[in-house]
Amino acid sequence: MRVLVVEDELRLREELAARLRQEGFVVDQAADGEEGLYLGREYPIDVGVVDLGLPKLSGIDLIRQLRSEGKAFPILILTARDRWQDKVEGLEAGGDDYLVKPFHMEELLARLKALMRRSAGWTQSELVFDTLHIDIGTQQVTVDERSVELTAYEYRVLEYLVLRAGQVVSKSELTEHIYDQDFDRDSNVIEVFIGRLRRKLDPEGKLNVIETLRGRGYRFALTPTAGHRNT
Amino acid sequence: MSLSLNTRVLVAASAVLFSFFGLAGFTLENIYRDTVEQNMQERMFGHIYALIAAAEMGDDGRLYMAMDVPDPRFSDPHSGLYGQVASNDGKWVWYSESMADMTIPFPYKLPRLAQVSRQITTPSGHRLYLFSYGVVWSDSPEPGQAYTFSVAQDLVDYDAKIASFRRSLWGTLGGVALLLLALQWGILRWGLLPLKQAARELHAIEEGVQTRLQGRYPLELRALTSNINALLFHQQEHLERYRRTLGDLAHSLKTPLAILQSAAENREGMAELPAVVAEQVERMNQLTGYQLQRAATSGWTVLSAPIEVEGVVAKILAGLKKVYADKGVRTQVDIEPGLEFAGDEGDLMEVVGNLTDNAFKWCKSRVHVRAHSKAGPRAGEQDLFIHVEDDGPGVPPEMVRYVMQRGRRADTEIAGHGIGLSIVRDIAQLYGGTLEIGESGLGGAAMHVWLPAGPKG
Repeated sequence: MRVLVVEDELRLREELAARLRQEGFVVDQAADGEEGLYLGREYPIDVGVVDLGLPKLSGIDLIRQLRSEGKAFPILILTARDRWQDKVEGLEAGGDDYLVKPFHMEELLARLKALMRRSAGWTQSELVFDTLHIDIGTQQVTVDERSVELTAYEYRVLEYLVLRAGQVVSKSELTEHIYDQDFDRDSNVIEVFIGRLRRKLDPEGKLNVIETLRGRGYRFALTPTAGHRNT
Repeated sequence: MSLSLNTRVLVAASAVLFSFFGLAGFTLENIYRDTVEQNMQERMFGHIYALIAAAEMGDDGRLYMAMDVPDPRFSDPHSGLYGQVASNDGKWVWYSESMADMTIPFPYKLPRLAQVSRQITTPSGHRLYLFSYGVVWSDSPEPGQAYTFSVAQDLVDYDAKIASFRRSLWGTLGGVALLLLALQWGILRWGLLPLKQAARELHAIEEGVQTRLQGRYPLELRALTSNINALLFHQQEHLERYRRTLGDLAHSLKTPLAILQSAAENREGMAELPAVVAEQVERMNQLTGYQLQRAATSGWTVLSAPIEVEGVVAKILAGLKKVYADKGVRTQVDIEPGLEFAGDEGDLMEVVGNLTDNAFKWCKSRVHVRAHSKAGPRAGEQDLFIHVEDDGPGVPPEMVRYVMQRGRRADTEIAGHGIGLSIVRDIAQLYGGTLEIGESGLGGAAMHVWLPAGPKG
């Protein structure tokens, strides 16, 4: 998952970025509104964290601009102002949630995950596909109530595919959303991750969890059975 | 550029005065000139008749003029009155002696009863009024013999008369106009005196000599001056509150700071330091949050436009529905159409925002927001009532007691969920109203806020 962090306070931004990376996010950082706008336009962002008091372009204007350009990724507003007037203004501009400074990092992570899950149509943090359960809050994956151990990258690939269940995701899209730097597109690492995921989630090969569409990419093929807006 | 009131009124008044007097003067002058000219014409007729009377038809069928022409001026050279009688056949002409060597271009050969009158200037530079009349002598032996009788009068007198009239006319009119303008200026200064006084008083307030407008002001200004006084009062109250809040904040931060300091100096307790820091940071955060809210609350505003309650509620609910999208809360909103709040928009947002946020947070699935007005104590003013209900677990009694404790200072004990309600209570009290916490028919909490109309006092 690719997160855009726009925060002018260097220390807070670095700490946010470090913590988010630790959680498996790909992090794009901007120190002012204009840089934030540039990154938001140019990169395939999945979720944004935007401080309201930014140099050059205010957080409110940044969000308005991104929304007017059709960028729909969920945005969490960070603000030191906790008057309702400020909150309402931020939400009206196109923010999806707000967090007042100072905040607990865990709270921020929980809100971000909730935003991503919500924008994918999930109404609870546990994603349920019959016997396969994925809790994106705790990053726990179980099959038949048996815990499945995944590496960090395997989990990232799974999470990305699951939050786009039913959609075809190309190899390069996956690469962009789980790796920081440009990744060697010819590498077969993604294929390796997918292969391992299939074996771990479905050792007997009954479920056909992830489909391969030749020349197009992958698709998470299970249908949500609980907690999704369409279920 | 903005002209002063004085200049505006004076410019407008002088324009009106001068056009009125100008028009009146012009008309009067014309009427006078017409009258004088008519007089002159009548006198000329008189002279013509005198000449006719002095003429006598001789037996030879020719006209003779008596030696003593009636008006002596006809005989006095350059007297200013001149006469000429000429036969229309051009054979005979009589001049008055007054003409001496002058040549006056009298008209000739006027038919019977024809009149000619005109003003001319002779080659020698005299302005003359000229009058001629055609006469046919009926008792002449040669019937139908026609003559032209003419007289001319020097216009020196006439011009002098007109000029003197004009002088006195314009002099009088100008004098009256100036007098009126001066009067106007005086009235204006007198009328604007209260404004000058208000400006002086405001200056004194600015310099800190006085705190409000004290003078007695005319009715038209009283709305303005009482509003200024209310605004000043409001500002002072505001400042007072800021000072108080700042003091409270600074003092209340001292305790957590002291705890942090002692924790940092306690070498043995290093293992607990992170926990102590986290706890005290949370405490300071709540303190600053609460005090900031209190400082930003404004209370009744004096000159701001009323706020539409429905719009504020709609905005906040739209925001909360985004934030609590997961809960799929069903909201019901009943707001009296056109309901308005006469205070600060931020305060209303704070009240509605905190109450609905709590409702969304605690409800199972339903939130009900109602707002209506009721006639207040002062005529034409409406008290505002806001009710927010949910179907959650309700507010624990100890929390209700805690929040409702009157005069409780905001300090370290504020619990996380209570802070919103404390803020709402503070705002309601600032407006002279109340917050009541009860149970809702929906099964959860019911919050009732009463905001009385109009500033207290």
